[in-house]
Amino acid sequence: MNKLWIDERYCKGCLICIDVCPTKALAASQEINSKGYILPVEKDMKRCKSCGLCEVMCPDFAIAIEEVEG
Amino acid sequence: MKRHPMLKYLKEEGPLGPRLPLIFCPGCGSGQVLNYTLHAVDKLIEEDEVRRENFLFISGIGCSGRITSHYLNFDSAWTIHGRALAVATGALLANPAFKIVVFTGDGDTGSIGGNHFIHACRRNIDVTILCLNNGLYGMTGGQHAPTTPLGAITTTTPYSNREEAFDLCKLAEIAGAPYVARWTTAHPQQVIKSIMKGLRKKGTALIEILSQCPVHEKMSPVTLLKGFRTKTIHVNKAKESTVGKTFIGEFCDLDKREWNESYQEIIDQFLRTNDKIDE
Repeated sequence: MNKLWIDERYCKGCLICIDVCPTKALAASQEINSKGYILPVEKDMKRCKSCGLCEVMCPDFAIAIEEVEG
Repeated sequence: MKRHPMLKYLKEEGPLGPRLPLIFCPGCGSGQVLNYTLHAVDKLIEEDEVRRENFLFISGIGCSGRITSHYLNFDSAWTIHGRALAVATGALLANPAFKIVVFTGDGDTGSIGGNHFIHACRRNIDVTILCLNNGLYGMTGGQHAPTTPLGAITTTTPYSNREEAFDLCKLAEIAGAPYVARWTTAHPQQVIKSIMKGLRKKGTALIEILSQCPVHEKMSPVTLLKGFRTKTIHVNKAKESTVGKTFIGEFCDLDKREWNESYQEIIDQFLRTNDKIDE
């Protein structure tokens, strides 16, 4: 199951990654962080095919998907 | 912790402290275009074995002007308003091996730097121009620009815009640029391929990228990206209904003699005559 890494210093909560994910593996967090942004969180990472579209379309270089086997 | 793969090309720490996060508003298209450009540059470094020192990034003034020198860990220059192409011409004369990427906005290219732009296209200098077109002057407060679509609402056109928008792609094509393409920020792979094609091409390449401004258009970036997907149509599919749609795609892809190469011919000619005199 792949793992989602969000750099909390860089993410501004535009949530483009959730919209562009073709398998809908991400969701918006229920909590607002200390900067006032809503960050993306893992919803169902079993569906993640590590296509990298979220990494390509992130405007703030904040997201990364780590490929984990098994 | 795994980090974004393109952070290796950015300056995260500066002499006055951390430089990231980027200065742009949440969901701005400028950050996305920077991301696409770095992906294209990464592929060129890997596939064509272009050296990292051979890239040069130049920008003018505006939101797009903030992309280069502050963040990129490449040679870069932040120049005066509209004159990024003039600086690029000089840099190319000094070192013809440079692969130059010019980041400009629609105000930078379409209004104040309009003449520099058309004459760069006419001369066919070897630069890749990335024009981030968000249809308004974002940095100064969302005033209407020459590229604002007909009927759009901005801070200076509160009762909708009554002027026709400037088509920068047609202008570049007529002025003589050999590679002209238009995409939006919602078409990442196409933009990356176009930037690679533009950098490989000897000559001017204009890639206009329709970009979103969530602050001044007063919509979420996700809605604006969805709008780009529905309101554009590929130029090869133009047989369908095109009312109210913007054409995207590659408009021309020609092979022409580049400016520096044609001057090199004159230089070579004189070098040959000098050799004959010496003999």
